[in-house]
Amino acid sequence: MEAHYICCHECDEISRLPYPHKPGRYKCPNCGHTLFKYWPGMFEKIYALNLAALFLFVVTNMFPFLSFHVLGNASEATFSTAILYLYHDEDYLLAVAVFLTTLLVPLTRILLYLLLFGPLYHGIVPRYAAGMLKLLETLLPWGMLDVFMVGVLVSIVKLVKMGTIIPGISLWSFAALIVVMAYAQSLFDPHPVWERIDEARGRTPDSLPGAAS
Amino acid sequence: MRAIDHGLGCCPTCHQIVRFPTRTEGAVTALCPRCGSEVHPRKPGAIQNTWALVLASILFYIPANLLPMMHVHTFAGTQSDTIMSGVIYFMETGSYLIGSVIFIASIFVPVLKILILIYLLLSVQRGWAGRYHERKRLYQLTELVGRWSMVDVYVVSIMIALVHFGGLTEIKAGLGAVFFLLVVVVTMFAAMQFDPRLIWDPPKETHARHP
Repeated sequence: MEAHYICCHECDEISRLPYPHKPGRYKCPNCGHTLFKYWPGMFEKIYALNLAALFLFVVTNMFPFLSFHVLGNASEATFSTAILYLYHDEDYLLAVAVFLTTLLVPLTRILLYLLLFGPLYHGIVPRYAAGMLKLLETLLPWGMLDVFMVGVLVSIVKLVKMGTIIPGISLWSFAALIVVMAYAQSLFDPHPVWERIDEARGRTPDSLPGAAS
Repeated sequence: MRAIDHGLGCCPTCHQIVRFPTRTEGAVTALCPRCGSEVHPRKPGAIQNTWALVLASILFYIPANLLPMMHVHTFAGTQSDTIMSGVIYFMETGSYLIGSVIFIASIFVPVLKILILIYLLLSVQRGWAGRYHERKRLYQLTELVGRWSMVDVYVVSIMIALVHFGGLTEIKAGLGAVFFLLVVVVTMFAAMQFDPRLIWDPPKETHARHP
């Protein structure tokens, strides 16, 4: 049986990876970090989940997630109103941070997933696949929709004593969006994609370069 | 078998194994043939950069806790809330769950992150041996948990969006929120700058490379 070599970016250990891959998770023999995971149907699942995520993302941003009533006054909040009010109050740094972490980065990541795994599902390696994959990983910690959800829950508890708070439609699509995105993220591993990119370019992947033993 | 012992490097982006050129002057670098990223045996300046960012986050942490996160303007006057006063408010009114969520996310987690990073930096610089798996787990904890401190920044932004009734009742963000945001972002960058591979390096070698 052939073998690939793979290195662990947590501890620098080089280890052998059986090839062709068996479905499952492969861990670093030294530190136990997950090096590689692969399941059949992984690409199509990620593609499908992110199509759902894109739909839910649009719905979530179209409708208010909370409305608030006090003494005959009413206000509603969507994702963009939070950012707009911060902007109007000249809290630019906060506005930019909230915009990036709850709108731009999550949307970019969903689109990158679609652009990458859509063609891969059909057996084509897209142009700029390497760049897209790199960007996808760089952006990972900066998409904070799940944290925002906890923020919404905390605000509900804070405001409940001041007036009447009514959860909007988009709160439910938002909850679904978080579940779908977390599921897609748990399936994702860049290494099978890197190997596809290698195969498309006609490189034999991960043989040890040079004559090292 | 470690990559560094054989003149090999691990691409930080795609984990391709790369051979370094044998004779180079200055810093050892190679380009990953697969994804084009720069590959170094260890992240250059990892320890210095992490220290700098950790110290910066400690500096930001002080005003983040002392200055108010938000100002609530009502016809009865203006009330300013810091993080701690929010926690105390929740604890007094019986919302223990929310109170502890805010306490953990906003006060405990940043401190924990800073302490873990300082411990890891010292352990690597002093070349402490042992506890490899524990230290690795601590590092992964800082990476995992850092984002959750953003909760309070989001709470402020949601409150501003919802409580906006002309001159009657308004909520404005305080300077504390800005510093708090900086603490979160800077500690996240600090954790990214650190190189976990240094944990596994044998003590002597670490001393030689970072005198």
